[in-house]
Amino acid sequence: MNIASSAALPALLLIAALAAPVTLVVGRRNPRRAASAAQVAAGAALAAALWNIAGHGGSVDLPWLPTWGATLSFTFDGISAVYTLLASGIGLAVFIYAGRYLPLHLHHTHRPVSEATSFFALLTLFMGAMIGLATARDLLLLFIFWDLTAVASYGLIGFDHTEAARRGSLMALLVTVSSALLLLVGILLLDLTYGTFDMAELARRATPGTELSVAVALMAIAALAKSAQVPFHFWLPRAMAAPTPVSAYLHSAAMVAAGVFLLGRIYPLIERAPEIQRALVVVGVASMATGGALALVKRELKAILAYSTIGQYGYVVVMLGLGGPTGVGGAAFYVIAHAIAKSALFLTAGAVTEATGRRSLDDLGGLARPLPALAVGSGLAAAALAALPLTIGFFKDEFFFEAAHHDGPVMTVIAALGAALTFAYMARFWGRIFLGRLRRPAAVLPTAMVAPIGALGSLAVLGGVAPAPVAALASAAGAASLQAPVDLHPGYRLVLNAPNVMALAAWGIGAALVAALPWWRGLPLALAAAGDRIGPERWYRSTLDALDRLSDWIHDLEVRDLRSRVASVLVPAGVLVAAAVLATPSDRAFLAGSFQAGDLVVGLLLAIACASGVAAARQRNHVAMTLLLSGVGYSLAVVYAAFGAPDVTLVAVLMETLFALLFLTTLSALPQSLRERLRRRPIESARRRRNVIYATVAGAAAFITVWGILSKPAAFDSVAARQIALTPSAHAKAVVTAILADFRGLDTMGEITVIGVALLGLAALLTRRRQT
Amino acid sequence: MITALTRTVAKLLFLPSLMIAVATLVKGYADVGDGFTAGVIAGLAVLLQVIVLGRDEVERMLPLRWAPRLAFAGIALALLDALAPLAFGQPVMTHLPPANVKPIHLGSLELLSAVVFDVGVFLLVFGFSVAAIDLLGRASPDRLP
Repeated sequence: MNIASSAALPALLLIAALAAPVTLVVGRRNPRRAASAAQVAAGAALAAALWNIAGHGGSVDLPWLPTWGATLSFTFDGISAVYTLLASGIGLAVFIYAGRYLPLHLHHTHRPVSEATSFFALLTLFMGAMIGLATARDLLLLFIFWDLTAVASYGLIGFDHTEAARRGSLMALLVTVSSALLLLVGILLLDLTYGTFDMAELARRATPGTELSVAVALMAIAALAKSAQVPFHFWLPRAMAAPTPVSAYLHSAAMVAAGVFLLGRIYPLIERAPEIQRALVVVGVASMATGGALALVKRELKAILAYSTIGQYGYVVVMLGLGGPTGVGGAAFYVIAHAIAKSALFLTAGAVTEATGRRSLDDLGGLARPLPALAVGSGLAAAALAALPLTIGFFKDEFFFEAAHHDGPVMTVIAALGAALTFAYMARFWGRIFLGRLRRPAAVLPTAMVAPIGALGSLAVLGGVAPAPVAALASAAGAASLQAPVDLHPGYRLVLNAPNVMALAAWGIGAALVAALPWWRGLPLALAAAGDRIGPERWYRSTLDALDRLSDWIHDLEVRDLRSRVASVLVPAGVLVAAAVLATPSDRAFLAGSFQAGDLVVGLLLAIACASGVAAARQRNHVAMTLLLSGVGYSLAVVYAAFGAPDVTLVAVLMETLFALLFLTTLSALPQSLRERLRRRPIESARRRRNVIYATVAGAAAFITVWGILSKPAAFDSVAARQIALTPSAHAKAVVTAILADFRGLDTMGEITVIGVALLGLAALLTRRRQT
Repeated sequence: MITALTRTVAKLLFLPSLMIAVATLVKGYADVGDGFTAGVIAGLAVLLQVIVLGRDEVERMLPLRWAPRLAFAGIALALLDALAPLAFGQPVMTHLPPANVKPIHLGSLELLSAVVFDVGVFLLVFGFSVAAIDLLGRASPDRLP
């Protein structure tokens, strides 16, 4: 085992792994302590992350699946630093807030306090998964953490168990997990092409080519779906059914950030697939436009923030698509700035709803007077998102403008318009809540719900006054992506350079947009309506409905009665056999041997078996049918004996007897009158025809299979000979027993387990019937 | 048609059938048959009694209701035998004694850990065949309240 150079990374991973179990155990004892456990875990993870940053990371390598070339390898680099800080730092603020929010929320919804345990356990599980994701160097490992975040988010989004919550969580799960399959395919494709799952190794080995482009495209689709980019964006507004702390954490700093994290992680590969990188710009711009325009017209607080998130991650995707030190390093800076501001705004939305009981902009206004601290804290966060000077957000836009200006005039205009949209919807969001006439009285909020917002807001200002530490973090992340030094130098320059002009233009256009909103709000509303009618969410629903109908149809077909259930096994099997026969060369595959005098006994026995089978098919009396079928079995058992297979004969005789008993007892469990009625009921001709077809297909398939196998008996000799040769070394004289108990013992284990399960099922069915 | 003759013959056959089952089981490694066939033979021996004498009378002699428990004890025994080597750092289903070591003899009987697995299979099949038919028989309509 190679443990890392320093203890910092193992400590971080240990905290990440233990956070959820410890929270669960503490919460089981006392649900009120679950929040504290989660807060301690987040605090410890934050401390460990800072320790790693101070100690310049390191790596951990543990053997995992050596034959597949997969290892449990973790590295703490610049990208890991950014995302672990977000997961633990924003996590800590959100967990503190949730410690006060959740009891109130559970109280409002009339649910027991004990449910807090699973809530905080899921939150810490999510944090652990994010830390694992951010530090994983092995791509298979990364995929596992990727899916783990989706699973945790499913539980968190659906925490309220309302119809909307259930639909929203299922949608988030299906969109992110089905796209995650593409990520897995991409990872496997990379492994097949370059022979490694290790990201650092891949960055060295990958060369431009079709395989690389396909793999990168698949992985990018997964990343874009996770970051709620167009056309996968529809899951995010639906996920707003989650409790507010979940949205603040997952939908600003963690879950959606995982998508752009992945883009940053595989950036060395993206760079070598320029067509994919250019596609990122298109997707990003589309998301910017969709998210920004809809955020400007939506009324519900959290819906506005959800569309804003779609738009904001659109900027990040555009910057990664534009590339270069400013683009890639700036993207990391943007993620940090956005996470701080957006989580504070989500917490604000929750606090406002908690204080007033309202969640729509139309019912709100003038809250600055009763809730001044909240107004200031969220005002700072809103200013940061709107990129006003003296906030961290100013620099996120500065880098964005620089990268766009570097690309050309078209991107310059798009960038300025995008920033204008951000400014406009933030001004509308904050202004409509806190300014104007007071519409509803507001309750006093607990300090623990306002303080995290204030802290995040102050952080946004601190980053605007002294941006160097954040710039260093982002530079390190950019350097890890670009594999070249990145040096971001945010600072205020009072000159008329391109970024400053673009910023001024953005504020001006933004102010005009929000002032003129009543005159042009029809456009985005029409866009939203069109999106609802023909957009991707509609495709999602119709795909789901179609799958539902298909499954219903198959279910009805299969389980309508016993006959159709048997047919649903036998007919497809027969069709497969027919396909196999057609596909394989028939030359010497079906031989008819000669018939000698010594075969007379076997021939006679087989004739008896055939006669019993035909008679059973014509018989309507169930008891007689059972006995005739046993006749088939017994005569075949004697055939085995004639071929010198005593073991098989013994088993066949015993099983025939047991089955006959089982059939007869089952028949005796049916009332006499019912059996009589079944016997006399005429069979409709359509059903008779179907039965004949099923029986013919199944019988022909069995016949062809047996004939084909008997025509070349030598094919299976190798295994049999080996088993016979090995029998003495197992201290056995009977080969069959040695195979069952030793050579294929694991198969036997599986089979007897199946028998046990069948017994359980039988007992459950029959005892229930007796009770009712 | 159950007569005094069938009743007598059925009763007389019970112990010899069980003996044949046990013989099939312990001789499984040297001769025809194994735990599975032995289990079916033993199961049929009990079922013969149930059919001829009736469930109530057999229940007085034999604890039929224990059959499911017997089946699961068999699975547990087989699983134990399969997993026990793990405790000694050996792969699952490693049997004792190893290939080149002579097993201990008790008369003509050889002591093999594979037979323990076979006994597990025997108990499962025995328990299953009795329990399945017993359950089905008890579900017949004339027994319903």
